Amino acid sequence: MGRLVAVRLWHGLIVIVAVTVTVFVVTRLISNPVDVMLPLEASAADRAAFAAALGLDRSIPVQFLDYVNGLARLDLGTSLWQDRPALTIVMEHLPITLLLVVSSVVFAILVALPLGAIAARRPGGGVDRVTVILSLVALSVPQFWLGLLLILLFAVTLGLLPSAGAGSAAHLVLPALTLAIPTMTRLIMVTRSQMIDELNAQYVRTLEAKGMSAWRVVAVHAGRNAAVPVLTLASWEFVRIFAGYTVVVETVFAWPGLGRLALQAIERQDLVLVQAVVLVIAVIVVVFNVLVDFAYMAIDPRIRLE
Amino acid sequence: MTFNRTMLGAATIVVTGLAWSSASAQTIGIAIGSEPTTLDPQLRDDGGERQVTDNIFETLMTRDPSGALGLGLAASEPVLVDPTTWEVTLREGVTFQNGEPFDAAAAAFSVNRVIDSGFNSEQGSYFNTITGAEAVDATTLRVTTSGPDPILPTRLYWLKMVPPIAAAEAGFAENPIGTGPYKFDNWRRGSSITLVANEGYWDGVPAAPEVEFRFIPEFGTRLSSLLSGEVDLITNLLPEFVEQVPQSFAVTGVELPIILLSDENEPVGDVRVRQALNYAVDKEALAEALYGGYADVMQGQLLAPSYFGFNPDVKGYPYDPEKAKALIAEAGAEGAEVTLYGTAGRWLKDRELVEAVAASWEAVGIKPDVRIVDFSEYLDRFFDPENRQDAFFTVSSNELMDADRPFSAYYHKDGIGAPNHNERIAELVDSARTEADPEARAAMYQEAIQIAFDEALYVFLLNINDVYGASERLVWEPRVDGKLLAKTMSISE
Repeated sequence: MGRLVAVRLWHGLIVIVAVTVTVFVVTRLISNPVDVMLPLEASAADRAAFAAALGLDRSIPVQFLDYVNGLARLDLGTSLWQDRPALTIVMEHLPITLLLVVSSVVFAILVALPLGAIAARRPGGGVDRVTVILSLVALSVPQFWLGLLLILLFAVTLGLLPSAGAGSAAHLVLPALTLAIPTMTRLIMVTRSQMIDELNAQYVRTLEAKGMSAWRVVAVHAGRNAAVPVLTLASWEFVRIFAGYTVVVETVFAWPGLGRLALQAIERQDLVLVQAVVLVIAVIVVVFNVLVDFAYMAIDPRIRLE
Repeated sequence: MTFNRTMLGAATIVVTGLAWSSASAQTIGIAIGSEPTTLDPQLRDDGGERQVTDNIFETLMTRDPSGALGLGLAASEPVLVDPTTWEVTLREGVTFQNGEPFDAAAAAFSVNRVIDSGFNSEQGSYFNTITGAEAVDATTLRVTTSGPDPILPTRLYWLKMVPPIAAAEAGFAENPIGTGPYKFDNWRRGSSITLVANEGYWDGVPAAPEVEFRFIPEFGTRLSSLLSGEVDLITNLLPEFVEQVPQSFAVTGVELPIILLSDENEPVGDVRVRQALNYAVDKEALAEALYGGYADVMQGQLLAPSYFGFNPDVKGYPYDPEKAKALIAEAGAEGAEVTLYGTAGRWLKDRELVEAVAASWEAVGIKPDVRIVDFSEYLDRFFDPENRQDAFFTVSSNELMDADRPFSAYYHKDGIGAPNHNERIAELVDSARTEADPEARAAMYQEAIQIAFDEALYVFLLNINDVYGASERLVWEPRVDGKLLAKTMSISE
């Protein structure tokens, strides 16, 4: 068990190092923050002085060594944009993104599992057809557009919810919904297909013949067997949302989270902050994946991870 | 059981949901597109920061809404005591929001702080002629410049006054203190900044007791927050949405899109071709189609009519496609290729403008090669004087509303964006920079403008308006310089 943890963490470390080095080198090769930070009319001398003040005129390996030195002291550098420690800025925005992501994924799971199971009980029936069609529609809609549409409907036309920002439970509803919908539909489809397979199995017929209620069959027995692929997808969705979709949704809803922060850091070519965001996200994703691996073993004792 | 719990949960969410507030009765809500990087008014060149700090800090000189320069914290106009020294008398009885007195020592401190190379301000280029400042007595300030600097009073409209003791402390950028009509209250990072009225403001307590700046980068969301009643004012309203908002305001802005032409590449090296490129563009149609009429045609010069140096005799190239074709035929340039560089999303409708201009060039026989690139690449090409492109779209932002900065950058042959080699223009711009007599100075710029116009060194385009959307209850007049001064805003009942 201990060895398992060590191997997983070792792999995770390799991923984190690879991501860090790649982002560090590529950003310094393709972007020049000085040009973006100073006004267009600033002279060449102004620019050179500014670059030197930021330490950007040194060679990339030298800058990297400096960075690694800082890492050892948990100092991820000073943001070029906000002139504050990059780690502080990331930590300010992390909890609120986690709140959003966890709410979306939990909501998606809570809706998708029952719906997928109900649809699976009578494949081709009324509920099933409607569920599948609605899911496909929801999956085809771009999230950006969906978000704005929800704002128009609920905030502007109906006046029921706020259009942007974060500050109360009401502010969480629309952004979480926008993030949850594509995830929910994918989970519905996978749950449904898994459950159909399980419900056709011999042991299910036996249980029903013995008089067990449909509810117990689905939730307690067939459900557990269908859980592994669903868990795989759900964990993958969590990572995709956390490390990707939040960028769009947080920008649309002016949600002050990590996704929007990353976009702004990129726009302003704040290499230090981009690096810090990527590092923190990579660490969280790696840890999360390790935890999910262990969850597998808890759900299905037949699984032995190599 | 689960049903009951679910219903209870839903009910709780609905109730707490109702607890969020729309624009509360006495707070003016303003939605801006970007969050300030800092609240230290002297450190960065950041539009988002200015939108907030213009209400907390003040300057010695100010402008009225139509752009005329006037007195702010200064009691009288700056005067020259010798060619490189200006003297200003300061207003008495003004204090900073933390009790520190506003006097000549504080003013001198403010000037010296922003020009200090150790401080590394991004605003250095606005003040690069200032060498120092000192307090002669409690209400008299002397500012020295490196050479004759006729626009020093204008520079003083951009230089914010900070309190010497508080500004030296580490947390100043997060706890700004100025002399202005509003005090900093709190900053919820990523969300909003709240300001409250300064009860001790020297010019009378402002009408609105509280102002909240919310940061909403996405335009659709900003518009929605206005339509749903959550904010009172939004900036950068796209012209096509003017009909939808309860109230809108438009005013000539400080952004001037223009296309820089090379005077040596083929075929634009020929003045007839350059003039043809100007005649080919129907600027009025562009203003109507792209900006909903919220743009003025540029009068053949990189200045708006209210800016210093404007030449009223130069009218601009009219739309005349036949003449354009004739000139191109004369120059033997039919079918010649012209490369045009532009951006997308950096400035309002930049891509659309470039594409429309290229289309009008095509209509008169030129083959345009449009290159819309991302901003990094655009800057690389921009700062490459060895390889001047045929045509380069850019937008000049003239915050000081004076000819010197844009002309030094774009008209002067050694300027950062000037692809021309005209000696006479360079001479004029250099002399005008240090000419003390305003009339002589204006005459120099006007001559440079006439030459650049005749030589068609640019394709002159538009002067975009700033358009704002507002709630029904907001009473306000927008300014030519684009500043959002909350002390001029109030709520009508």
